[in-house]
Amino acid sequence: MADASQGKLIEFKGASLAVMTAYVRETDAVRLADAMHMMMGGMPDFFAGEPVVLDFSQLASVPDWVDWTAITSLLRRYQVQPIGVRHLPEHLHEGARRANLASLGKEGPSSERPIAKPQPPAPAPAPQPEPVAAPAPAPEAAPTVETPSAASGTTAPTLIVERPLRSGQQIYAKGGDLVLLAGMSPGSEIIADGSIHVYGPLRGRALAGARGDTSARIFSTNFGPELVSIAGVYRTFERGIPQTVAGRTAQVRLTGSDSQHTLEIIALQND
Amino acid sequence: MTRVIVITSGKGGVGKTTTSASISSGLALRGFKTAVIDFDVGLRNLDLIMGCERRVVYDLVNVINGEANLSQALIKDKHCENLFILPASQTRDKDALTEEGVEKVLKDLSHMGFEYVVCDSPAGIERGAVMALTFADEAIVVSNPEVSSVRDSDRILGILQSKSRRAIEGREPVKEHLLITRYAPKRVEEGEMLSYKDVQELLRVPLIGVIPESDDVLQASNQGTPAIHLKDSDVATAYQDVVARFLDEDRPLRFVSYEKPGILKRLFGGK
Repeated sequence: MADASQGKLIEFKGASLAVMTAYVRETDAVRLADAMHMMMGGMPDFFAGEPVVLDFSQLASVPDWVDWTAITSLLRRYQVQPIGVRHLPEHLHEGARRANLASLGKEGPSSERPIAKPQPPAPAPAPQPEPVAAPAPAPEAAPTVETPSAASGTTAPTLIVERPLRSGQQIYAKGGDLVLLAGMSPGSEIIADGSIHVYGPLRGRALAGARGDTSARIFSTNFGPELVSIAGVYRTFERGIPQTVAGRTAQVRLTGSDSQHTLEIIALQND
Repeated sequence: MTRVIVITSGKGGVGKTTTSASISSGLALRGFKTAVIDFDVGLRNLDLIMGCERRVVYDLVNVINGEANLSQALIKDKHCENLFILPASQTRDKDALTEEGVEKVLKDLSHMGFEYVVCDSPAGIERGAVMALTFADEAIVVSNPEVSSVRDSDRILGILQSKSRRAIEGREPVKEHLLITRYAPKRVEEGEMLSYKDVQELLRVPLIGVIPESDDVLQASNQGTPAIHLKDSDVATAYQDVVARFLDEDRPLRFVSYEKPGILKRLFGGK
C-alpha cells in the first residue's frame, strides 16, 4: 500500500462515511441552548468531537435569517463538530456557507419524513472502549481479530471471539454483531452496535444496540450477567438472576413503544 | 528446549511461592535440570521457603544489571541435585526488571542446559507479575476456592492472553493449568467454600491438581523445606501428583472428598 501511494502527497477519493445527523427543529439559538442543556444535563463532554450533519427537514417554521455563529459555537461547546447542512431552505444557504458549513443536499424541507424517528443518543457505555485489534499488543485486549468494518451503519461483519473473555477485558463490536464462542467471566464487558450472542456463560456486562438500535438482542446459552443493556435501557441483577432464566438459554430484547421501552428477559427452552 | 513455567495468581497469599518451590523441586527430583526464579523484587520469599536465604550473595537484579554473572548468582538447592535458585533482590524495586534483561537471563539459562525454568510471580498485576509471565510457555494459575481469588486468577489469565510473548507474536498460546490450593473438603461439604468443580467451571482452565489445606505447609515454610519433601503428608503427595500430571502422567484427583472421621479416630484423636 505504501508503494502504491508513493509520490502522491494528497489523493482524493470518494468515500461514504457514517455520520451522525442532528435534526434541528428550531433555529433560535437561545431555545436550542436550553434544549441542549436539558438533554445533556451536566455532561458538556458527552460527545467527543464527532462530526455531525445538521438536518433541517423537520423545521417547525422557516425563519428569515439564522444566527449560524451562535448555533455552531453552541454545538462546539458540547464537543460536536458541525460539518454541513441538509434540507436547508434555499435562502439560508448563503449564511451557512459563510459559517463554513458544507451544503449536502440543496433542496428544502423534504416531503418524505426520515424513516426512523430521531434517536436520542443512547447513553454511551462509558468509557467507550477502543476497538479490539489483533495481533497488536493492545493492553489487555483479548486476542481477537476485528474484521474491517464496512462503511455503512449496521452491515459491519460479525465479530467472533473464540477464547473466553476474562475479567477486566472489554470487546466492542463496532457497527455489527458480536459472537462469543467460549463465554465470558464476571468483570468483563462486551458491547455491540448490533446483537450479542454468547455460547457459554454470560457473566459480565453485555450492552447491545450501543448506538441506539432498539431491535438488537442479547442471547446466551448460560444466562447470568451482571448487567444487560439494549439501546441504553439497562438492568442490573442485584437481587440475583430470575429463577426462570438463571443458567438457562435465554434472550433479552426490548418491547414496548418508542417512549416506553422495557427490557424483557425470557428463557428460550425448557431445559 | 527449555520450557518456561510461570506460577501466578493475581491475588497474594494463595500459595504461589509454596507451589513454585514444590513444583521446581518435583521436576528436579524427576531428573530434569531446573531453575526457579523469584520475580518478587523487593520482597524476596522464595529463598526462605527453599531454605537458602543465608547463601544469597547475588540476585536477579545483579544479573540483569551485569553486576554478576548467572553462575555466580544461581544457588544450588540443598535437597535436589538438579535444582538451582535465582533469588530476588530485596533492596531494589520492580522497575529494575527490564524485558531485555529478563529475556537475556532466560536465554542464558537455556544455553546452560536447563530443561525447566520456573518463574515465581509476585502478587498483583504490576510490572513484576507481567515480567514473570512475559516469556512463559506454560502457566500454572494458583487459586484458592474463594470468590475474590478466582476473580483475580481470571484477571491474570486475561493478562496472560494479551501480554505474553506468545500472544503478542501470535504463536501458540501459553498452555494454562489451574491449581487449587488450600482446599478443605469439609468446608466444601458444609457449603462454606467453593468446590473445585465450581472453581474450574468459573475459570474454564484444565485442572492440574488440588492441594489440601494443611498445617504442614506452614511447618515446611518455617523449616525452609519445600512441602513436596515432607514425609507422610497429603500436601507432599498432592504436589507429586501435580508434577506427574504436568509431565502428562495420568493421576486421579485425591484429597477432594470429605470422609467423616470414624468412631475410633474420634476417640483416639488424630488430625
